[in-house]
Amino acid sequence: MKTFNKLALATALSVGFGACAIAEGIYAPNLTYRTGPFASTGIPLMDGQKDYMTLLNERDGGIGGVQINFEECETGYSTEKGVECYERTKADAVVTQPWSTGITLQVLPKTNTDMIPILAPGYGFSPMANGKVFKWAFNPPVSYWDGASMIVDFIADGDKGSLKGKKIVLLHLDHPFGKEPIPVLEAMAEAYDFELKLIPVGLKEMQNQSAQWLQIRRERPDNVIMWGWGAMNASAIAEAVKTKYPMDQFIGVWWAGHDADLKQVGEAGTGYKSISWSVPQSDAPMMADLKTHVLDAGKSTAEDPDSVFYQRGLVMSMFLAEGIAAAQAEFGVAEINPEQMRWGLENLNITDERLAELGMTGMVPPFSTSCSNHTGHSGAWMLEWDGEKFAPVSDLLMADAAFIEPLEMAESMAYAEANAPWPMNESCE
Amino acid sequence: MELLNKIFIAPFVDMVAAPDFLMQVLWEGLVSGVLYSLIALGFVLIYRSSRIFNFAQGIMVVFAALTLVGLHEMGVPAWLSVFLTLAVMFGLAVSVERIVLRPLVGQPDIILFMATIGITLFLIGLGEIIFGGENKQMITKELGIPTGSTDFDILGGYVSFQHIDITAVAVAGLLVTSLLLFLNKTRMGRAIRALGDDHQAALSVGISLQTIWILVWFIAGIIALVTGIAWGSRAGVSFALEVIAYKALPVLMLGGLESIQGAIIGGLMIGMLEKMFEIYWGQPILGGNTESWFAYMLALVVLLFRPQGLFGEKIIERV
Repeated sequence: MKTFNKLALATALSVGFGACAIAEGIYAPNLTYRTGPFASTGIPLMDGQKDYMTLLNERDGGIGGVQINFEECETGYSTEKGVECYERTKADAVVTQPWSTGITLQVLPKTNTDMIPILAPGYGFSPMANGKVFKWAFNPPVSYWDGASMIVDFIADGDKGSLKGKKIVLLHLDHPFGKEPIPVLEAMAEAYDFELKLIPVGLKEMQNQSAQWLQIRRERPDNVIMWGWGAMNASAIAEAVKTKYPMDQFIGVWWAGHDADLKQVGEAGTGYKSISWSVPQSDAPMMADLKTHVLDAGKSTAEDPDSVFYQRGLVMSMFLAEGIAAAQAEFGVAEINPEQMRWGLENLNITDERLAELGMTGMVPPFSTSCSNHTGHSGAWMLEWDGEKFAPVSDLLMADAAFIEPLEMAESMAYAEANAPWPMNESCE
Repeated sequence: MELLNKIFIAPFVDMVAAPDFLMQVLWEGLVSGVLYSLIALGFVLIYRSSRIFNFAQGIMVVFAALTLVGLHEMGVPAWLSVFLTLAVMFGLAVSVERIVLRPLVGQPDIILFMATIGITLFLIGLGEIIFGGENKQMITKELGIPTGSTDFDILGGYVSFQHIDITAVAVAGLLVTSLLLFLNKTRMGRAIRALGDDHQAALSVGISLQTIWILVWFIAGIIALVTGIAWGSRAGVSFALEVIAYKALPVLMLGGLESIQGAIIGGLMIGMLEKMFEIYWGQPILGGNTESWFAYMLALVVLLFRPQGLFGEKIIERV
């Protein structure tokens, strides 16, 4: 039956491409990677995104009475294919969701001239937070630099002075995504006097990490931070178990906290942590609606609706839906255009009350975006693998804004200068 | 001066100071090397018998491993899944021969090579539709493959041997020995070698090209399954495994496309040398991730001096 569903999905997707030009409603394409070496990470996330939009279409008749055409264009996480997908979909799209830091960096300059907002929840280029420079780009609710800051703060247990003399390894994918936290970690290493050791993992070596973990055995670091994606994560966790590296000193970014990766090692992975800006809440009222209108109605291909990644996908689509609703309310139109969508994303206001109305309390911290703040900097929780599932083990952690903001400012200005003439958003105060 | 120290002195000081760690590095390199050798063997066997460079060998590893895990997920007992997977790989060998290779007999080598790229793309698509793209857990325990590790306190430290790795090395050794016996001691094996030595002469004495092609593609399928189990036990089964299979390319450049001995020794050499280089030179001097290119560089250096590879046949043509 599962195989049949997949065949049906493949057929539906291919038919969907043909129908793209004549599709009705708000066209919000998603540049997915359900295939290739990163598919293990992508599939549950994209299932979650798609299912939330299906829920709104089925339960509410769309947003503001307009159906959402949430079409997928498959990139296989390839930057070249991602740019092709962007070009193919941009004519009718109100938003683009590039789904890889590499693709985001490629389409970032194009969106200025095409005037299409980029929505990159929890990924992309961290300085995109500066809305004065990146008028069309949004990466709510936290940036990678926020993530690095929160992880370091967690390791230091709130006292960064205690980091002096410690050795921290950053095990990272040798790819724009994996290199994202390096500037902020290097600045923190200098400021707080700890040693930072970078250990890259090549795309071709994701499932062959014995050299990296031999290096970790030799270095004996106090902590290992992992910036991994796709097949890299499961291999790294398996190698950590094999190397007998203490799991409670091993922390991953939010893309390295996939239930399926940890199930490979089960009990042996107990203590492994992952910073996360979303927490699964399977008892939330929205999940009950989802079960009725999507999961039980046979309109989903999701295999594990309780997982961290699937429910994060739901939250990501909620950001987009809230942006659409905000734009509709502001401009008094149902079928919004990209410029109006941009306004909506710039005025996200995800409060505790709004989360309760959506039936999503506790799934994401409250946050809001503004003209100058395109990230929201919501904070995140530390999740820990207990042998069977991830569970939160911290209160809401917040990034060190005083440390990060000057870096964001400097790096975003450097980007604008390097890509001059770069249009600044003069409307921001 | 510091650079010279990092190149010529520090690595050797490290090796002497921590011999247990050096032994661990060599062991890990040996395990990787054995698996590279296995994949390279799949390429060599097909090339020897048909002069086809089988680009699909990598995806065959993924496809075999996914089939095994997929069958087990459907409730088929583990060892029965192994035999059914072998049957699938046999079916694949027959299909490739009938549908792809037979109509292309007599075509230039590049056409046959392109056909194997087509097979690769087809298997990727088919695999993703049937099994999905998610990382799957190899059925290690169900197959009775020992897990855990044995640590030896030696050389002033410890060396850890994973039971999965020991099993992989032992099974690979057994498979290679069986293959060598098959190729050297059986009629079919001699037929494969005869085809490799002289196509026309072999055909003229009645060796069936179709039968041999099916046989070598099936053997390549068996090798793919063993490699898939071994590597899948270490890191899970996903389409990322296909990329690892391309590590066999420098092994082939180094060992020679036609030499079984070259595939084995080339694989072991690359496995151990790339690991040594990464740990003692790559990380300290170049910041790491040298395994992505080291094997190719090594193979290119060898090709400068021996264009036919270490064990390849030197071709002399009279004009």
